[in-house]
Amino acid sequence: MASQMLSKEELKKKASDEIDSRADEIVAIAKAILKNPEPGFREIKTAQLVAGKLAELGIPFRAGLAVTGVRVDLVGGTAGPALAILGELDSLIVNQHPHADPVTGAAHACGHHCQIAMMFGALYALNQPDVLSALSGRLIFMAVPAEEYIEIEFRDSLRRAGKIDFLGGKPELINVGEFDDINLAMMLHTTSNPAEKQLCISGTNNGTIAKKIQFIGKGSHAGGAPHLGINALNAATLALSAIHFNRETFRDEDTVRVHPIITKGGEAVSAVPSDVRMETFVRGRTMDAIMDANKKVDRALRAGAMAVGASVNIQTIPGYMPLDQDKNLSEVFQANAESLVGTDNVGYVAHRTGSTDMGDISQLMPAIHPYVGGASGLGHGADYVIEDYGLAVITAAKVLAGTAIDLMADGANSAGKIIAGHRPNMTIAEYLKSMREIASDETYKDE
Amino acid sequence: MLNIEELKQKACSTIDKRKKDLINIAKDVLANPEAGFRETRTASLVAKEFDQLGIPHNDGLAITGVKGRIAGGAGPGPKIAVIGELDSLIVEGHPFADQKTFAAHACGHHCQIGMMLGATMGLMTPEVLSQLSGEIVPFAVPAEEFIEVEHRLQLREEGRLEFLGGKQELIRLGEFDDVDIAMMCHTASDMGERKFAMGGTSNGHMVKYVRFIGRGSHAGGAPHLGVNALNAATFAIQAMHASRETHKPEDTVRVHGIMTRGGEAVSAVPSDVRLEWRVRSGSPQAVVRNGAVVDRCFKAGALAVGASVEITNIPGYLPMRHHAKLQDIFNSNSVSLLGESSTLVMPPRRNRGGSTDMGDLSHLIPVCHPYASGAVGSGHSKEYIIDDYETAVINPAKIMAMVVIDLLADGAGKGKEVSASHRPAMNKQAYLRFQREQAQVISFDGNV
Repeated sequence: MASQMLSKEELKKKASDEIDSRADEIVAIAKAILKNPEPGFREIKTAQLVAGKLAELGIPFRAGLAVTGVRVDLVGGTAGPALAILGELDSLIVNQHPHADPVTGAAHACGHHCQIAMMFGALYALNQPDVLSALSGRLIFMAVPAEEYIEIEFRDSLRRAGKIDFLGGKPELINVGEFDDINLAMMLHTTSNPAEKQLCISGTNNGTIAKKIQFIGKGSHAGGAPHLGINALNAATLALSAIHFNRETFRDEDTVRVHPIITKGGEAVSAVPSDVRMETFVRGRTMDAIMDANKKVDRALRAGAMAVGASVNIQTIPGYMPLDQDKNLSEVFQANAESLVGTDNVGYVAHRTGSTDMGDISQLMPAIHPYVGGASGLGHGADYVIEDYGLAVITAAKVLAGTAIDLMADGANSAGKIIAGHRPNMTIAEYLKSMREIASDETYKDE
Repeated sequence: MLNIEELKQKACSTIDKRKKDLINIAKDVLANPEAGFRETRTASLVAKEFDQLGIPHNDGLAITGVKGRIAGGAGPGPKIAVIGELDSLIVEGHPFADQKTFAAHACGHHCQIGMMLGATMGLMTPEVLSQLSGEIVPFAVPAEEFIEVEHRLQLREEGRLEFLGGKQELIRLGEFDDVDIAMMCHTASDMGERKFAMGGTSNGHMVKYVRFIGRGSHAGGAPHLGVNALNAATFAIQAMHASRETHKPEDTVRVHGIMTRGGEAVSAVPSDVRLEWRVRSGSPQAVVRNGAVVDRCFKAGALAVGASVEITNIPGYLPMRHHAKLQDIFNSNSVSLLGESSTLVMPPRRNRGGSTDMGDLSHLIPVCHPYASGAVGSGHSKEYIIDDYETAVINPAKIMAMVVIDLLADGAGKGKEVSASHRPAMNKQAYLRFQREQAQVISFDGNV
């Protein structure tokens, strides 16, 4: 006779006990990654650390997915849907950060190192034989590359070399088919905002696209013959003004963000600038809002060029789609969060104006991207550090494990309902088509 | 038979006798300022004076111009126009501004009417006139100040004008076809001890009437549905500032303008914004070249916000070309009347920056356009007033009469010499063709 099936509460207790008993080992993973920060698509050491830990467990895994991603699949006692728990491998680049790499400036100023550790905590908890056998379907643990959309020049070189199609980790994993066999996905991000409390449920995030812009003028002696030059810096500053002139047409509810930087502003102060380069994001609450703002940005860039008789090359690069978290999946997470830290310690944020490639996943399947506290400082700033690893890693691992148990126990009844109730915005094929349609490269000159 | 010096003394003595009347005429015009193509009262005042002097005249030329004709008694010869400009500016707050229209003589044209009549009176002294060959053409001309563009475009619509400047229109109408040499004298301030300044050049210009069309919408409730024409215009102006570094110093480029309509109501996204703009440069070619840059800026403004723009390019004035010999004659007369230190002759390439339609005339016939002191304050400002009418009206009347005597006495030898030595920059047909080529309407839709 088969042993009595454990109840969800008993399974969660076993999961939690396992995480507690291996707490030091789990936190050590986070701290090891913190000391070896690597930005997106360069997470070699971090991926090796993940692979090493998986090898210790003797579970088969696959590595080198979208350059550096690592994936392991655990199979439950009976058949059922596939739930992915994600941890992001990559760091930012923040030179002044106390844990920055002295050579590359890479630094975990967004807490991703905790994500890999909490993912392992949940893995240890759910991989216990009497827990795993009580679950239906598959649990996929995936260490994913390149969530931070930075080093566009470098990533574009990878793209041109044929190593990636998209410049973000999850879009590229979708592209190479790693989400083809997954039905639900979740991850948990750290936060330093006290208003978000210990665990925080959230609704939506802006999506974004990226742009690389080059104004081409004509160099000339700036003192001797400015009338023979065409000032590309004037074209760029006028284009920036033109963008500002359009801001009043961005709707509040679209939370459009356009925030360019100039990456090259001329050659030498004594010459009329002939080569000026900019990068910008165009973010918004919906793809429609992003593409509307993008049209206005393109027009503004062309106006800058036209104003001084320069030409402008505008490269538009697909970024991340808006995040739209599944409410039912969020509710399961919320129940686990409340039972772990108490209702008063669970926060809620309806919309965030930053962007994440978890947004892309959320276009395809039920997905959540809640937050866990334990950090201090400003996200992406030199002062963003994890103060409370107990919360940011251990509690985080427990809430992920508990949510997975709720979803996948009892014949994955809960996961099945969530999947059935979810209407994806697009299929993977539609997603890839739409991402490719965003990409454009045009040169404009008023003749 | 009087010699030339005696003729000049006679003429000056007549002017001195009429001094009070001449200054009163100037002050009458000052007190009743009228902007260009609206100078009906000023024109009838001139016509009345011509009548009193027994000068036959044609009126209503280019709407308000009054042209007299006086034949000398010594047979045929060159025809010399002595020009006075009828029009005022519009300067609100000027002490002599019209309380309704704000028209004001902030450029001293009222003195020109006085001095033109004064020179005419001097030359009509019987002993003088009988010894002059050729003809004297005292000519009160409209609309030198290129303002109220919208009003003048309306006159053009009605078929009452083709060109928006007075002398341009008079040239088109053929009113200078029978004039060989023209002269006038403009007042100026801040000339120190000098009584006259002459020489140098002035800028040519082009006038633009510009309309940005956006889309109105509630500025609080639905700004995203609007297209802000005011933003389009401000972008265009910024773009022009950014282009200034490409102006060549020798082109003395001036790009400036006003916004005559900046939106409808503060609570609505501005959908109709209008500008009057001006591009000046030292040569007609540079005016055309820099005008094209300004057009590009206007188009870029429309493109920046997805508005549309209509640019009506209106032919402006050509740079001034003083006739050197004529100017020498003017100078020697002012030196003989007022002394060596009384005149200042500018180097030929010195550009005053402003523009006058006397420049247009200077491309066709020998002209001079010296400046007489007597004013204080900055030209075109509310501080510009005449504080010495003797200097601003009587002296120039005398000098112009003396110049005409030099030109037309003794069988008009000097007048013929000036006329023969002149190399016109263009003939009338070429002038009209050039100006008509500038007149164009550019429409651009930036909503792409």
